[in-house]
Amino acid sequence: MADQVRVYYQEELEKLEASGLGGLDLVDTAIERTLEAIEHTDVELAQIVVADDDRIDGRYLEVHQSLITLLATQSPVATDLRLISALLHVLKNVERMGDQCVNICKLIPLSGNEPPADAEMVRLILTMGKHTRTLIMQAKRAFEERDIELAQDLVRQDDAVDNLNRECFRLALEIGDDADKREWAMTMLLAARAIERIGDNAVDIGEQVAFVVTGLFREFEDASHPNE
Amino acid sequence: MTQDDRAQTGRDTREAAAARAGIAVRPEEFQGKRYPGDREKVFELKGVDVLYSGVTAVKGISMDIHRNDVTALIGPSGCGKSTLLRCLNRMNDLIPTAEVRGELLYQGEDLYGPGVDPVQVRKLIGMVFQKPNPFPKSIYDNVAFGPRILGRKDDLDATVEKALRGAALWDEVKDRLADNAFGLSGGQQQRLCIARCIAVEPEVILMDEPCSALDPISTGKIEDLMIELKDEFSIVIVTHNMQQAARVSDRTAFLMVELDATEQSRWGRLVEFDETEKIFTNPADKRTEDYVSGKVG
Repeated sequence: MADQVRVYYQEELEKLEASGLGGLDLVDTAIERTLEAIEHTDVELAQIVVADDDRIDGRYLEVHQSLITLLATQSPVATDLRLISALLHVLKNVERMGDQCVNICKLIPLSGNEPPADAEMVRLILTMGKHTRTLIMQAKRAFEERDIELAQDLVRQDDAVDNLNRECFRLALEIGDDADKREWAMTMLLAARAIERIGDNAVDIGEQVAFVVTGLFREFEDASHPNE
Repeated sequence: MTQDDRAQTGRDTREAAAARAGIAVRPEEFQGKRYPGDREKVFELKGVDVLYSGVTAVKGISMDIHRNDVTALIGPSGCGKSTLLRCLNRMNDLIPTAEVRGELLYQGEDLYGPGVDPVQVRKLIGMVFQKPNPFPKSIYDNVAFGPRILGRKDDLDATVEKALRGAALWDEVKDRLADNAFGLSGGQQQRLCIARCIAVEPEVILMDEPCSALDPISTGKIEDLMIELKDEFSIVIVTHNMQQAARVSDRTAFLMVELDATEQSRWGRLVEFDETEKIFTNPADKRTEDYVSGKVG
C-alpha cells in the first residue's frame, strides 16, 4: 500500500473532533460556575453563566458547519463517517448541557436574596454536580481513547447521580410547612433535575463511543425497557 | 469469528467486540435493510488464479455473484479487478499466455470446461468497456450488429428499438437512427454500447469502468440505467470511483495487491466481499477501511 494520503482531510477531521470534544471543557466550566452560584446564591455569577452560553452555542455552530462541509466535500465513509455522525450527536449533547446550566442559573434569582436554604439539600446538589463533572470528563476521555469499557462505566456513575436526585426529592417532600422554604425546595428540585439530565447527556456521549468503535448502536440504559 | 480465526488473523470483528462489550442492536429494524441470504448464484468462483505467461496476476479468488445484483469490484490499480472481470466471459482467452486455474462455475456449469464455446459464453455474458467503442456504422447498425451475426433477421427494428429503450437512448436517437454513431456524445456512445450489448439478450453484463471517460451527467444516466437493468440482467462492474460503487452496487468486492516475501512478485487478492452498505459503513477488514476511506491507494 502507498503512503498516507488525504492528509488535509484527516487533519481537519482530527481538529474538528478536538474542537467538538473541547465543548465539554466549556460545559465543565459552566457547571463549576453554576454550582458556585447555587452554593453562594451568586446572581452575578449566574448571569455570567447565562451570557457565556453563547460560547458553547458558538462552538456548536462552528463545528457543526465544518462537519457538514466535510460531509459535502470529502464523502467520508466507514469509521470516518461514524465518527462524524457521532460528533454531530456529541455536539447536540454539549449544546443541551450548556442550556441546562442556563436553566439552573435562571432559577437562582428566583430563590430570593437570602433564601431559606436547606444545607443538606444544597450539599446533595453540589455532590450531584461534582459527580456530573466527573462524568463529563470521563465521557470526553472515553471518546478520545475510543474506550468502550470506560464509556459503559458512565452508566454506573450516572446511577449515583440519579440516586442523589431521588434523595433531593425525598428531602423536598419532608422540608416542612413553611411556604418560602417549600418554594425554595421546589426551585432546587428543578436545578437537581437539570443536573441529572446533564449526567444523562454524558451517558449519551458514551453510547456514541460504542457506535464509533463497533458500528452498532444501542442505548446503554433504555428508560422504556428498564428490565432488559 | 471463532477463537481459532482470531488466533490466525490476529483480528477481531466489530461484532465480536460488541458482543463482548454486551452491546446488541435493538430494535432489529434499525440495522438497516438486510440483504436476502438465499440468492440464486450466477457465478461461483472457487480458488480462481489467473496467470499471464506463468506469472500470477490474481490468486485464490473465491466468491459467489448473485442474479439480478449489481456487483462492484474495487481496488487500487494493478490489483486484478479487470483481469478477474475478463475471466467471467472468457475474454482472457484472447490473450494467448493467459491461464485460468481453479473452479469458475456459471449457473452451476464449469465455464472453462471442455466443449464450452467461448463465443456462446460471450453471447450470454456481454461486456461494456471503459472507452465507448461504437463501430464506424450507423446507430441502427451498431445495435443490429449482434442480432444479425446471430442470424436473427425477424423484426430487427423491434429488437433495435427495445435495446435502445433499454439503454435509455431511444428518445435521443429515434429520429436519426441512420446517422453515424460517432456523431453521438461520449455518454450517448457508451449507452449505445450498452444497447448493443443488451440487443443480443445476454444474462450478464460486465462493465469495465464504464463511466471513467464520461461527465457527471452522463455518468448519472449510466448509473440510473444500471439500477434499471439489474431487474433483467446481472451486472458486474469494475470501478475506480468508490462513490459509484456505493451508489449503484448491491455487493462490493475489495481486491488489493499482495507482495511475496521478497517483494519481487505481486498479485491481486480478494480482501473482503460483502454488502455494499457494510463495506462503506462498517467494513470488517482494516485494509478495506483504509482503501474506501481514501487513506491509502
